Amino acid sequence: MTGTLAVYQKELASYFRSPIAYYVVAVFLLGTGYFFLYNVFLTGETTMAATFQNMGILLVTLVPVISMRLFSAEFSAGTAELLLTLPLEPWQIVVAKYLGAVTILVLMTAATVVDLVPLYLFGTPETTTILAGYVGFVLLGMACLALGLFFSTLTHNQIVAALITAAVLLGLWFVGHLQSFQRSDALRGLFGYLSFAQHFTDFIQGLVRTEAVAFYLVVAAIALTLSAGYLQWRR
Amino acid sequence: MTSDSAVITLEAVSKRYGSRTVVHDLSFTVDEGEIVGFLGPNGAGKTTTMRMIAGFTAASTGRVRVAGYDMATQNVEAARLIGYQPERPPLYDTLDVSAYLRFVARAKGVRRAAVPAELERVIAACHLEAVVRREIFKLSKGYRQRLGLAQALLGTPQVLLLDEPTAGLDPGQIQETREVIRAFGEHHAVLFSTHILAEVTLICRRVAIINHGRLLAIDSPSALRRAQEETHRVSLQVSGPSTEVRDALLSVKGVIAVDVHAMPDNAGLLAVDCRVEPRQGLEAAIARAVTHRWDLHRLERQEPTLENVFLQYVKTRPDGA
Repeated sequence: MTGTLAVYQKELASYFRSPIAYYVVAVFLLGTGYFFLYNVFLTGETTMAATFQNMGILLVTLVPVISMRLFSAEFSAGTAELLLTLPLEPWQIVVAKYLGAVTILVLMTAATVVDLVPLYLFGTPETTTILAGYVGFVLLGMACLALGLFFSTLTHNQIVAALITAAVLLGLWFVGHLQSFQRSDALRGLFGYLSFAQHFTDFIQGLVRTEAVAFYLVVAAIALTLSAGYLQWRR
Repeated sequence: MTSDSAVITLEAVSKRYGSRTVVHDLSFTVDEGEIVGFLGPNGAGKTTTMRMIAGFTAASTGRVRVAGYDMATQNVEAARLIGYQPERPPLYDTLDVSAYLRFVARAKGVRRAAVPAELERVIAACHLEAVVRREIFKLSKGYRQRLGLAQALLGTPQVLLLDEPTAGLDPGQIQETREVIRAFGEHHAVLFSTHILAEVTLICRRVAIINHGRLLAIDSPSALRRAQEETHRVSLQVSGPSTEVRDALLSVKGVIAVDVHAMPDNAGLLAVDCRVEPRQGLEAAIARAVTHRWDLHRLERQEPTLENVFLQYVKTRPDGA
């Protein structure tokens, strides 16, 4: 536990001592702020629904920047030789690194709460719907980060890791659109089930469905298990 | 091959990457209180062997054991007892020296209360006092190397694995690093690879020579030197007829074999290489045998340095056969 905590703290220190975390958080907050202003002030609707939708796609494009360094940077800098010879199981290292990345996600999500101030000052938004949206957003981010972490275990090259992650996440975000081209109900169901965007839409509408929660958590668990398994196997 | 006091044991260890075999059937041990030098040219398989002992990579066949733990299945338990300095110091550039060492100490399971004393110990041992608050990316190569050693010393390692620990250090720093290794090796097991052969004779009890992934020899530096004593040589340049020069030299007691070549750029001058017995005063006898009939231009005695031993092994047994 001590070792896992040490790796987690090292991860956070590394994020905040390099420009990457600041860059990601800044881009995310600027983007979110812009979408918020556009959606709320131009339409006059005091909801976060449209903003959450925009935050989702923004997240999908920014996650690869956070996750690309998780293992790729360790391999390319040679620090993997230290990390993977510590008295820690691969899953402990994976969990510590993942929690570090999730902490960044939670911090940048928390920073968007400032957008809620004008919403509550000038309107009467539905708090439970907003809360559901935030829960969905964090779950979406957790699934995306876990996939990004897995792809970063596969390569020494951070750019390659980021590009694979971006391609896969965008694919999973837009895969729901393929439903309209399918005649087979099974395929339509499958594409709908795999769609990160469709599950997220439920949360935005205020629905915290067990199926959607489980979907994101299972995706994250599978990706993390594969990562730990791969690290063990590559020995 | 194994002994009761062996802390590191390799039994018929091989490592393959696809169809390429990097380490072939390697077996040796390192005992407690012993420093073993690991010699070999680049690409000989030293780093791969170190990585297998450290648990970074697993052996394809054979068994690596450290302090009784099988590194294939118990590498996490063994990791607490291993201090490992990879060839490239494993440093996080964005952290400062103190934060880095604190991270490694905690990750190795050092209790929070004991961390400051641990840091103080390794910082003093590796002479890092001047850079404790400095960010790692600002460190010189020498400091980076010593920080790599410092992290390996953290915790309570029983085994120190050092992959070229003195590379990039100046002579003073090399001396300090050797002292750290020597002090640690008095009570623990140390395996370190190096290209500097003098280092091996200075601090190692035994030397393992490896090439093309095969162990060519493992013995004490002095025994290896003795093994090469039959290759004591005296080389000379003489102006004279080659057959008569050869006969004259072979008649000298102690000369085992004589190899004579005409020097291409100097007609009439011969380059002579004598394999001789390892005894004193032979040069004078050789000189006497030559000078009363011909002109002696040059005479040189070649001692078998460990470098020669190493080159000889690598040259004559490139496949380790």
